Amino acid sequence: MVKFDKIAGRYFLKSNQKSLVSGLLIILVATVFMVNWAGLDAVRAAQSTVEAVEGATAVDGAYAPAPKLAESDYPAVAGINGRLIVWVVAQLHLWFAAFVLAVPIFVFIIEVIGMRTRDKRYDDMAYEFIKVSITAYSLTAILGGLLLFSLILFYPHLFTYLSTIFSESMLYYALLFFAESAVLYLYYYGWKWLQGGFRKWVHLTLGLMLNAIGTTLMLLANAWLTFMMSPAGVDAAGVFSGDSWAAIHNFLWNPINIHRFVANIAYGGSIVGAYAAFKFLTARNQQEKAHYDWMGYNANFIAICALLPLPFAGYYLAAEIYAYSQQMGITLMGGIFAWLFIIQAVLIGTLFLSANYYLWCGMGRSDGAKRYTKYIKYIAIVLVGSFLVWFTPHTLVLTNSELKALGGPHHSILGPLGIMPAKNTAVNIMIIFTFLSFLFYRRSNKIATVSWEKTGNIVQVALFTAGIVNILFLGTYHGYFTNTVYKVAASIPQVVTTLVVIVGSLVLDSFIYGKSRDVGPLHWGRIPERAQYALFLLAVAFTWLMGLMGYIRSGIRQHWHVVDIMRDASAQAFTPTLGYAANVVSVAALLFLAMVIFVFWIAQVSGSKTLPAGYWKE
Amino acid sequence: MRIPRLLQAVLVFAGVYFGFIIVFDYLLGAVIPKSLLTMYMFFVAAGVFMVFTYDEEDTRELVAPVKALVEDPAKRGIRNIVFTLIPLMVGYFVYDQMQPGFEAPVELRTIHPAPPSTAKIYGQRVNLLSLENPYRKLEKEDPEEFAAMVNDGAAVYIKNCQYCHGDKLDGKGPYAEGLNPTPLNFQDVGTIAQLQESYLFWRIATGGPGLPKEAAPWISSMPVWQNFLSEEEIWKVILFLYDYTGHQPRSWEHE
Amino acid sequence: MRKFLTVVAFMVISIGLFAGYSNFGIPQIEPAPPPTEEKIDLGSMTMEQFVALGERLFKGKGTCTLCHNSLGRAPALDVISTNAQARLDDPRYEESGGEATNIEEYLIESLVKPSAYVVAGFGKKGTNDKESPMPDASSGSISFSQTELIAVIAYLQDNGGLEITVEIPSDVQASVEGEDDGDGEDGEPREAFTEVQDIFDNFDCEACHTITEEAGDAGPNLSAIGAKRDRNYLRRALLAPNADIAEGFEEGMMPDDLGQQIYASELEILLDYLSELK
Repeated sequence: MVKFDKIAGRYFLKSNQKSLVSGLLIILVATVFMVNWAGLDAVRAAQSTVEAVEGATAVDGAYAPAPKLAESDYPAVAGINGRLIVWVVAQLHLWFAAFVLAVPIFVFIIEVIGMRTRDKRYDDMAYEFIKVSITAYSLTAILGGLLLFSLILFYPHLFTYLSTIFSESMLYYALLFFAESAVLYLYYYGWKWLQGGFRKWVHLTLGLMLNAIGTTLMLLANAWLTFMMSPAGVDAAGVFSGDSWAAIHNFLWNPINIHRFVANIAYGGSIVGAYAAFKFLTARNQQEKAHYDWMGYNANFIAICALLPLPFAGYYLAAEIYAYSQQMGITLMGGIFAWLFIIQAVLIGTLFLSANYYLWCGMGRSDGAKRYTKYIKYIAIVLVGSFLVWFTPHTLVLTNSELKALGGPHHSILGPLGIMPAKNTAVNIMIIFTFLSFLFYRRSNKIATVSWEKTGNIVQVALFTAGIVNILFLGTYHGYFTNTVYKVAASIPQVVTTLVVIVGSLVLDSFIYGKSRDVGPLHWGRIPERAQYALFLLAVAFTWLMGLMGYIRSGIRQHWHVVDIMRDASAQAFTPTLGYAANVVSVAALLFLAMVIFVFWIAQVSGSKTLPAGYWKE
Repeated sequence: MRIPRLLQAVLVFAGVYFGFIIVFDYLLGAVIPKSLLTMYMFFVAAGVFMVFTYDEEDTRELVAPVKALVEDPAKRGIRNIVFTLIPLMVGYFVYDQMQPGFEAPVELRTIHPAPPSTAKIYGQRVNLLSLENPYRKLEKEDPEEFAAMVNDGAAVYIKNCQYCHGDKLDGKGPYAEGLNPTPLNFQDVGTIAQLQESYLFWRIATGGPGLPKEAAPWISSMPVWQNFLSEEEIWKVILFLYDYTGHQPRSWEHE
Repeated sequence: MRKFLTVVAFMVISIGLFAGYSNFGIPQIEPAPPPTEEKIDLGSMTMEQFVALGERLFKGKGTCTLCHNSLGRAPALDVISTNAQARLDDPRYEESGGEATNIEEYLIESLVKPSAYVVAGFGKKGTNDKESPMPDASSGSISFSQTELIAVIAYLQDNGGLEITVEIPSDVQASVEGEDDGDGEDGEPREAFTEVQDIFDNFDCEACHTITEEAGDAGPNLSAIGAKRDRNYLRRALLAPNADIAEGFEEGMMPDDLGQQIYASELEILLDYLSELK
């Protein structure tokens, strides 16, 4: 074990200054907010006077319609591409925020596990997780401030309009930020102090508060952006009705909330996993190695748990976008953005494959794993096969000779794989087999002692077989031989089947292996270094994918700031090509990773000490 | 004799590669596009790598020949050959890739682009999101009348459409060979079965020139049928397309 | 340090692969540029959109809500389904010179000639409800065009729970404006004429028509038109001249863009005048 106390002790000295700096920054950000309100109010007042003089506004106190902008309304600042700046900064802010919001969620859960099991390892791991996230916290605030500045600078009218509608929630946001900081610092710096009995309860309460505040912050920020996609609480001209709740509780708010909440957890897990992987690679002794292996495993476990339901949350979001506006839905899934989902499929496939690979490599920790490794190649075949189906595009890129040979752009065999029923089937199968990998991993070090083990296994095999057959049947029969209503509807029984298989076999497994005995002690740290790179790939793919999906979420608004209400008249209103977007996302991702590395490095530096001989007076 | 692991991996990879080609190009008679096969093989390689390297011992066995090749002093001869061949092969590959060819650049086309929300058809703005086939309801209400409509549609089809789209609606009409892109095959589950009737109406009425940019309107040879057919004829021919192929138009309502 | 660099290189290569695939592995389709702002095309408008347009005008350009609000400075307009007919039936209505025979006409009249009939209690102070404080919506600072007036009527009928009786003008090129300024490219809007002779002169009516004195004979003689035709016919004849062609005359002689140029108040003056010619 690392000597946390020692490191933390030194860390504490340094971090006094750090907290001061972050505190100041938050005050700065908040002040910017405040000043803006005052300023914006003044602007608004001035505006309405002018308009009243011209006889163009409504009653006093009523809201103005969304402004109709011209290109000249977007300040040109030193020839900088404003959209690019806002895009990159917003993306960086989002990555950090997702990480910072997610970590307390599972830190809290791990702390509770530690308290229940009285296994100090969990408590130490939770502490280390939060330590990783706390340095990122101030960066989140800085980037948030930067985002605000760049919005005001490059999109002043949009910001003015949004802030007239969300004035209240923006105020609460600033206040909550204070509360979040206070609770976070108490939670982190009070960790060693609030130990044992009643104090642990106090500490856990702080953790719960931290999560409640953090989630509320996210919900508020989500409301602003979903308002831009599915405006509510305003009329067709953008005149605000004055009902803040209606504007917040717009059509896409909850679908985005759910999707982001789940994705944040998976993302936080993957970043912590990368941290553990790096620590593992640079570990100086076996003990450290074991610790970070264990940490990496847990982080990966969290990431996978959140990753499995994520396609369903995404599916729900897409369905709701369709329900909100069919045109937005078609823009999303067809036309230009159709290819984006091929990239997304490649990325998600990468996530699934590397997560599985990590699990397989991890089976080497147990001496009993040999019993199961023979199945791995079959899992791999199914996974890769499903994956290939998943990223087969609907529109194939064909050379002229291929076009001739096929007699048309339609491929009789690959064509049907390009549409939704095939993809839904593939993703469900992938999830089931990833779960199977996990099941094998769980079993690898256990020997069942119950007498009905064989029967249990047969039931389990039957469950899996029935589930897979059902998914395939639903996918092929309802996907291709019935009309559309059932095509879309078939995805729901598929998901239900997947869930039944997962839950059913988990329950069964816990009975079979409830009173099992171990093959031997788990050899934490006995894992090839390659596996750590799987963790890195997981983090990188997650980061990049979030950036890409951020592009499409905002891209389906097309040339609107607020869909159908406030038009983007700037020179940058066009929708960029996928390659362009991918390049922006890549640069932003590299910036983000550099910042993360800096954050981790600074945490390490604070723990090291140089003793220059003969420098100080004796 | 046990095959060395490295060779096993290579064999699996090559087996899958040629498997794809044999199955698609020869057994099924539908070539697998090169661009797609490249992507497939990239991930097959990833899968092979994963299966062959998750275990530490197996991995050692896998890389042992490679390691030996690089490090073993006894293998100097073969090392020199391999180390010369690899750069040469890469060089040839690059040369081959950069070679200008006579093949026309690949035209990227979205076959089913997102429709606009409204379109001007027969001089009127039509809302494509809410447009419905006026005769579709007859299917339930008056099957006889409906059958007559389908028959009318069939006549329209035979007079106008079958030259390209084929008398079996499979996109293989007498003129199809001369066209690129080739006419759509309506029998395919990926075409009209995925679309709403209003979409077909838009495509038929405005033809190739009515396509948005991403669908490359300049290469489509579909005529603007609103100049030749009446509105009723288009709706009837749509009925026929679905009736003959046995597909159902996409709709968002339960029946 | 070597490990660190390896990890960094691994991450950069991974991102490079993702970016490379997105750039070269899939087709780059350039999305269509944002559409240029469309002129309002009345031909493509549904009644719903037309009503929405009316609402926007009512709340925006028309500044109607300054008075017609819950504070009661002016009559409430969301109850016109019951009130409008009551006003028409009010004996004071004809006394004070109201001419409308149905609700639609009444609403138009209220907008362009607000003083024709003033709802009891809402008149200018000291005029005993003879004069309305409301400006003529078709001129002055509001200057609704004919189309805009109809849009506002559509909104009022819709909002008040009445059946919408107006039709979307399709033969008139709409001059529906943006939020703030007037006729944009046409420069300053002209003052509305109040004398009938000025209107005749401005639109050169007497080049073709005989009205008061012997003049052109390219168009029907109008010197006693009021005896033959009613106001509705005349209104249509002015706004859609090709709808009915008088015997002996050809279609397409009379300009059909008068509706774009004439103010609603002028139209009323013209109609008043013509229908009195007997």
